[in-house]
Amino acid sequence: MRPSAWGWRDVAGEETGLSMRQFKAILRKDIVMELRTKEMVTSMGIYALLTMVIYQVALSQSGTAFDPRNIAAGLLWLAFVFTSMLGLNRSLVHEKDQGCLEALLLSPVDRPVIFFAKAGGNLIFLLIVQALTIPVFAFLFLQEGSYAGEWWMIPLALFAGAVGISGVGTLLATMSVNTKGKDFVLAVLFVPLMYPLLLAAVSATSAAILGGDGSTQQFWTGMGMIAAFDVIMLLASFALYEFIVGA
Amino acid sequence: MLEVGATLNRNTLVLSMLVLGGVLTTAGFIMAFFFTPPVLGPAITNEAGRIIGYQPLFSQKIFYFHVPVALSSFLVFFFTAYYGVRFLMTKDRRYDTRAKVATEVTLMFVILTMATGILWTRFEWGRWWVWEPRLTTYFIMTLLVIAYFVLRNSIEDEERRATYAAVFGIIAFIDAPISFAITRVIPSSVHPVVLRSGGGLTGSQLVALLIGLFGMLMIAYAIYHTRMREELVHDRIEAVKAALEG
Repeated sequence: MRPSAWGWRDVAGEETGLSMRQFKAILRKDIVMELRTKEMVTSMGIYALLTMVIYQVALSQSGTAFDPRNIAAGLLWLAFVFTSMLGLNRSLVHEKDQGCLEALLLSPVDRPVIFFAKAGGNLIFLLIVQALTIPVFAFLFLQEGSYAGEWWMIPLALFAGAVGISGVGTLLATMSVNTKGKDFVLAVLFVPLMYPLLLAAVSATSAAILGGDGSTQQFWTGMGMIAAFDVIMLLASFALYEFIVGA
Repeated sequence: MLEVGATLNRNTLVLSMLVLGGVLTTAGFIMAFFFTPPVLGPAITNEAGRIIGYQPLFSQKIFYFHVPVALSSFLVFFFTAYYGVRFLMTKDRRYDTRAKVATEVTLMFVILTMATGILWTRFEWGRWWVWEPRLTTYFIMTLLVIAYFVLRNSIEDEERRATYAAVFGIIAFIDAPISFAITRVIPSSVHPVVLRSGGGLTGSQLVALLIGLFGMLMIAYAIYHTRMREELVHDRIEAVKAALEG
């Protein structure tokens, strides 16, 4: 056995270990399908926009002295959570309905590679939706007021949170798609597990948006918590994925 | 394996655990009233709002019931995850049954924790619910245990149900301490970190707490085994029915 770029090559020269080629192939399948139909990004984007409309209704009686920047981080993450639940569910429903998941399982693909590829695809879609939602949110709600804090803090916090959501969400969505109450079961499983991540993400994003005394420290504390959650839960999801994808 | 009519030793053990556990928990609770020093909480303030006197906090006595129940629930939840791991290793259906029963016991204890926590908050802070770290963490744990049962009930196929429940049990057990840690670290305007006067536990307080804790653990063990026996009897009935029909 001699090392190759992503694993090992055995005697016959075949790559063993987790294969980058397999990962790229599955990821490319998801992206190409999305580019053709544009279904997930449009539906997630419109869903986020509709959430903004509901926000306006919810905040309509809050009075003129109310500064939406105080809860901007919370509102953003709320939109992302619901949008990502929608997106996660859809990405796995396609796999199941078209029989694609069974085809993947029949082919000599390592199970963990399926996890990384699906999670990677979900991450990309979620990041796109985040990138689309923030300007819309700023346009609708944050017309006045300036932003303290560095500009790169907000995307960093959003990215770190999105990684956690995609990773654990892929595991949960693969489970929930095989149950009787698909969306509902995903929501019931998702929200309690994600609670620590969301708390830390809202804290970090809020510190980035609002600035002020101690905001840098609050931001990095939140980022540390997000990073800890991501590492631990992604490791756990990665280890547990092969049990459920074959069941 | 627990048989119905056999091994008097095991049945005696379970029964004695139940009685002993009940006795110990009651003893711990009574000790909380008679043998532990009162914990002081701020009460008397002057006009400027500064604390100039203390009153004994009677509501703090719930601590001696609440903490054993909370710790026991977490410990039993560990067994859910443990049996989940064993099931994934062996694919033996009995581990799945054990995980399910352990989660049922966890649910019971978690609900008790929430109830005593709510009562404690009401009598100490005057409000029924405060989003403080401890209550929030246990609320999340309640939701996790409920989610476990929702997941189990929504799958018909037995092996898939057992596998998914095992995986979710493991990841929920990993999530609970993370939730515990993060709710304490993240500063939040609606998450007051509750500080009480006198940080550590004095000797007699610790003794009362430990007695209550051991009593609660024994009760948990007894309930688990009784429920487990019910499940095994159920399985035997199903097997006999299948044998009669086939």
